[in-house]
Order: sequence, then C-alpha cells, then structure tokens
Amino acid sequence: MAAPLARPAPAGAAPSAPAREAGLAPPPAGSRRRALRRLTPYLYLLPMVLLVGIFLLYPAVKTVWVAFTDATGTSAGSFVGFDNFSRLVNDPAFRTSVRNTVYWVIGALVLQVGLGLLLALILSNMRAGDWLKRLFYLPATLSGAAVGVIWFYVFNPDQGLLTSFLDAVGLESLTTRWLADPPINTFAMIFAATWQGLGPAMILFLVGLQNLPREPIEAARVDGARGLRLFWHVTLPLLRPMSAVVVAITLINNFKVFDLIWVMTQGGPYRSSETLAVSMYRESFVTFAVGYGASIAVVLTLIVTILSVFYLRSMFRKVEVY
Amino acid sequence: MEAASVPTARRTPPAPAPTPRRSRGAGAIAFSATKVGVLLLAVAWIVPLALLAVTPMKSFEEYSDTSQWSLPSDPLQLFDNMKEAWDSAGLGSAFLASLSYGLVGALVAILCGALGAYAITRLELKGRFFWFLLVFSGTLFPFQMYLIPLFQLYTDTQLYDTWIGMALFYSAIAVPFCLFVMRGFFSTIPPEIEDAAKLDGASSWGILWRVLMPLARGPIAVLILFQFTWIWNDFMFGLVLSTSDGVRPIMPALVGLQGSSSTAGPPVVLAGALIGSLPTIALFLLLGRYLLSGLTLTATGKDE
Repeated sequence: MAAPLARPAPAGAAPSAPAREAGLAPPPAGSRRRALRRLTPYLYLLPMVLLVGIFLLYPAVKTVWVAFTDATGTSAGSFVGFDNFSRLVNDPAFRTSVRNTVYWVIGALVLQVGLGLLLALILSNMRAGDWLKRLFYLPATLSGAAVGVIWFYVFNPDQGLLTSFLDAVGLESLTTRWLADPPINTFAMIFAATWQGLGPAMILFLVGLQNLPREPIEAARVDGARGLRLFWHVTLPLLRPMSAVVVAITLINNFKVFDLIWVMTQGGPYRSSETLAVSMYRESFVTFAVGYGASIAVVLTLIVTILSVFYLRSMFRKVEVY
Repeated sequence: MEAASVPTARRTPPAPAPTPRRSRGAGAIAFSATKVGVLLLAVAWIVPLALLAVTPMKSFEEYSDTSQWSLPSDPLQLFDNMKEAWDSAGLGSAFLASLSYGLVGALVAILCGALGAYAITRLELKGRFFWFLLVFSGTLFPFQMYLIPLFQLYTDTQLYDTWIGMALFYSAIAVPFCLFVMRGFFSTIPPEIEDAAKLDGASSWGILWRVLMPLARGPIAVLILFQFTWIWNDFMFGLVLSTSDGVRPIMPALVGLQGSSSTAGPPVVLAGALIGSLPTIALFLLLGRYLLSGLTLTATGKDE
C-alpha cells in the first residue's frame, strides 16, 4: 500500500538522491523499483482507459452482440444469427425510417452545406459581416431539444408563426398540419435543423476561405476569369479540402438526429417521421425489442463508418496539401 | 438566383485594379440584391429567436387570444412564467444538476485526458498510437451504439438514476476529445522547456503540473466551454439513464415540461426553453471566440 502511494510523486528520483550522495550502489530492491518506474506511464493512462473502456467501448462492442440475440427488456435472450437483420429488410416501418433518413441527409446537404457556403462567400466581403455571423451561429448554441420546442410552436397548425404569416400574405392555401402530414413533417423538421446547423457550416467555410492561397486566384483574375467561372474553376476546387470536411460532418450529424425529432413529433404520427436513430430508440426503450433495436444501431453504425472513412481520408489529404 | 450573384459580390470589393470599369453598375445592383437576400435570411433567423424571447412575456390568456406575432402587453409577465417553469417539472433542480454535470464532467475529462496525453507524448510507453486510437475510437460510434448496454449496466450496478452515474458517463464521453486536444497541444511544446525542471529533480508528475498544465490554459478553456455546452445540451443520455428530479438533466426536464402529460401552457414551456438556453447563449456571447476555435479544432484537428 505504501509503495504505490509514494511512487507517483518522486518516481524514483527523490529516494535515489540520498543514495547517490552516500556513494552507494543501487540497493538490491532496485529492480523492483525499476519495474515500478516502468509501470508509472501506464498509471497515467489508467483513469482515461477505464472511463472510456467501461462507459463507451464495452457498450459499443456489446451492442453488436445484442444485435444477434432476441433480447427483450426483461431477458438477455439467446443467439438468433441474422434474424433481426432479415426482419429489418421486411419491416415497412424500417423502410420508412430509411427513406426519412435519406431525406434528412440530402436535405442537410443541400440546405446546410449549400446555404453555409453561400453565406460564407457573401459575409466574408460584407461590412456588417461579423454581426451577421454571430446571428447565424447563435441557434447552434441551443440544444436540439430547445430548438425542437421552439419550432414545435412555429409549426403549430392553428396559430403558429408560419401559419399566421402565410394567412397574412394571402397564401393560406399553402398551409397544412405541418408536423402531422408526411412527408411534410420530415421536411419541416429538416428546416428546423437547418436553422440550427447552418452556423457551424458557415463558420467552417469562412475559415476555409480565409486560408485560401492568394496567388492562384489573382493569376486567374489576371487571365480574365471572374464571376461564376472564377468561383467554379478556381475558388471551389481550392476550397475542396474544407468542403469535404463540412460535407462529412453535416452528413454524419444528420444521420444521428434524435432529440429534435423526439421533441417535435416523437417520430409520428404512426411512425411516419422516424429516422434510424428514432426507430432504434423506440424499438429498444418503448417496445423493448432490445435485440431488434440493437440491430438498427448496428446498421446506423455501418453507414456512418463508411462516411467516417471518407471524412478521415479527406482530413489526411488536407494534411498533405498544406 | 442568389447563387448567380454571389461571385459578383465576392469580386466587387477586393479586386479594384484588374476589373474593367464597365461591369461596375451591374455589379453594384447584383451586390445589393445579395445584400437584400442575406438580410431577409437574417430576419428569418431572428424570428424563432424572438419567439423564444417574447412568448414567455405573455400570459396564457394573452397567448391564446392574440396572434403569435403580436407584442406582449405586460413584458414583466416573463418573471412569473420563468418562476412557474422553474418550479414545475423539476426544471429548477434539473438546472442545478446539469450545472454540476457540466462542470464536473468537463474537469474530470480534461484531467484524465491530460494525464493520458502526457503519458503518450512524454513518457516511455509501448504502443503510444494504439492507446491514443483506443481512447479516441470511443467517440467514433453513433451514440445509439452505447444506449442499450449502458442502460443494462446502470440498472445492474445501481448507477441508474444517480448523480454519480450521470457524472461518470458525462466525464467518459468527454474524454476522447480532451485527449485529442491535449495530445495535440503537448506535442507542440518543445521538450527543452522541461529540462530546467528535470535538472531540479522534478518528477514526471511535477513536470506535468508545474510546467505543462500552466502552459495549456488556452486549450483547457476551449475544452471547458466545449464540453460544458455539450453536456448541458445533451438530451438522449439523460432520458435513458435517469428519471427522478434532482438527477435528471435539464433537457429531458424541459421536454417533460412540454410533453403531453404536462399542463403548462406554451408561454411557460418557452420560458423553460429560455431558462435552458440562457447559459449556453451567455457563454457564446461572452466567449464565442473560444467556441469557434473549438469548432475548427473538431473539424480540422488544427487550432486556427
């Protein structure tokens, strides 16, 4: 007990100092102390490895196992092979869920990445830019749950902001029960997510624009390229490393949206606005088909992993470029 | 339509020299068109924020009788609504619980990450990159991968619905990013800086605390901001791992206030959303610079 307590602070240096002064050879216990000293670095790793191992890595690995069982809320279940996965393929709710997830990903790509790039291009040359950047980023500091609460009232079909605005400008024919009619409800929530997610995409593009090399752009200008042609043939290719990062982050984040959807529709009505993340939660913690829920988590992970590889590759390519 | 005018906007101010004179008139019109577009978009971005700020200033009767666009007749109603939100659905105790999770989680994670990063960058260790990847891979999974076994683990070990259980989990999920940042920072510090301390006979522990950690104040500030905000805004893990007032974090409590079983009217619910959003909004307005550098750090692995 005493040795491990004394060891981290001196790590051999303090006790050996008097020994050195006295001109003594290393004491016989030296080999034990040396072994301890070799162990010290690993003690520094211990807290972090324990925390991550117990609370993140063990659960992640175990979910893969659970996905191959018929576990429920009360029993650990037994191994059933690929049954859960073949059930997924034939489950209409899962197909709706996949379709909505694709909507989310494409919508996020077009709205968040597209608008983010557009805003970055405009604001980088605008005098009130700093003020506007703050405004567009502000919703990103709110939680998905709070954003869901706000937009739940914006989309209120009777007296919500959107409905009363459309009434006021004479477009009441366009109004609908925003959060009740599929697929409008999914589009409505994608819009709320865009309100929240636009800021980070815009900021990353602004950083990318700031770090662009000046010479190729100047050279292209001298050669007479300007406007759309300059943007398309020079600026955009130079911006590619950052674009890849923004695209990947946006894709990965929007694959996993849970809180916003759970707050606004709970995936309903009749599971019409569920995504993979919401289906996973519903199967695992509402209907307690735990094994089945785990298989959805595994499918989600497979898709996100493929995208992450793309993300990491673009990150490493970025390192080579600069 | 807007897309076409963007490059024009980009071209007009920074390139006065090689641009031929004749394009100036057309360019100016296109430029002001993009300006109008951006301002319209800005208004669209303000309106939901205004809803969050203004609706809690109305009484329930005023909210149901008038349009959501109308201004409040008695703005001081805000404090009544905030007090009602604070007292119902356990929002007040959830606020305090989340405050403690955010602070404790961020600090524990930074401590563990710094210890690990120090060992990986400075000490004699086998498999440096393996240890880094092992811990960093903890955040590569979608969070849905953790939920089921975590819930089982928590119910088996009585960690379920306890303060310590929540604090441990929030610490753990913040560790990988802390390791990533601290490792990056320590490897930029030249080892010679520690030589003087080594000559004085300082141990590895002493070097970490007296030499390296004081230098890392900047990255540590970024990490505290980033991790606190993340923990504060978490909804899913709080929903799955806790139920009772005093343990449950703020976002699940807010959703409980809004949910179908709640009797609170929209002004009170939005007052709750405002309470839940004020800390992170304040952090952003006060220390936004650090948050943004944390953002570029996550995205590119480089401190801009």
